Amino acid sequence: MRILRASVILVAGGCLGLAWNAWSGRGFVLGQSVFVQVGDEVIEPSEAKARLDRGALFLDARPRDFWTMSRIPGALSQPEEEFDRSFAELEPKLRGTFNIVVYCSGYGCEASHVVARKLREKGIHAAILSEGWPAWTDAGYPVTGPK
Amino acid sequence: MIRTSWLQLALRLGLGGFFLYASLDKIAAPAAFARIVYQWQVVGPVPANLVAVILPWVEALAGLLLVAGLWKREAAAVIAMLLVVFILAAGSVMARGIDVENCGCFSTAKAEQPSWFKGVGWFLIARNLVLLGAAVVFIRLPAPTGQRTTS
Repeated sequence: MRILRASVILVAGGCLGLAWNAWSGRGFVLGQSVFVQVGDEVIEPSEAKARLDRGALFLDARPRDFWTMSRIPGALSQPEEEFDRSFAELEPKLRGTFNIVVYCSGYGCEASHVVARKLREKGIHAAILSEGWPAWTDAGYPVTGPK
Repeated sequence: MIRTSWLQLALRLGLGGFFLYASLDKIAAPAAFARIVYQWQVVGPVPANLVAVILPWVEALAGLLLVAGLWKREAAAVIAMLLVVFILAAGSVMARGIDVENCGCFSTAKAEQPSWFKGVGWFLIARNLVLLGAAVVFIRLPAPTGQRTTS
């Protein structure tokens, strides 16, 4: 009886949660990463590497100290929290290419999505590297060291 | 026996109130909570969404039942099970060196309190162990005289 009642609590909680997500107006799409929004182009590390080889401009959305320590070759620092200042410096370069990839710290990091959206508001499209820096390094792709 | 019934009442209201309160902000902001769940890196993005949608309601329901005094032991058992999962997950996060600055335990807002208090770390594990101990004590306490032992 106790196991049955405990199971009822779990199942009822699950049903309430799914119903709330569907009908409360506060819900979100369950079948995709919560970071992805309409208009986001998310690419896998292999595709990002191919774009790097084709001369894509990479933007590092992590805090500047991380970029200073290590980064994807050629990546420019465009931290989320310093977006306006960095954008003012980088704008001519960003407007000179249609091939931009943004990355951040990965796994739960939203900075690359935020930077890509802010760029989109300014009329610049940038793809987002899925799972960011750790996915890139786990794949064994090149990085450069301290500046 | 009087002492036991007061202890039961305190544990029931304390545990129930704690979990009921902990669920409110997460229910109000499921997408923000999903981001936090994913940051723990225990499950992938889609399972993290399901956890974020379901977990707060299980917490709320179990907390509410405890406070109301209905299905008390079953609700405490569910809470104990959740706490075991939380402790194991927090241990996994710490062992892998992942920095989660807001555990999402009470609020989905960015951390204002110090990271040792709000993040995933030893304080969180210690707090959950205390809560787990309270839940286990509550489950094992004999029912006060005149009450059925199944509730």
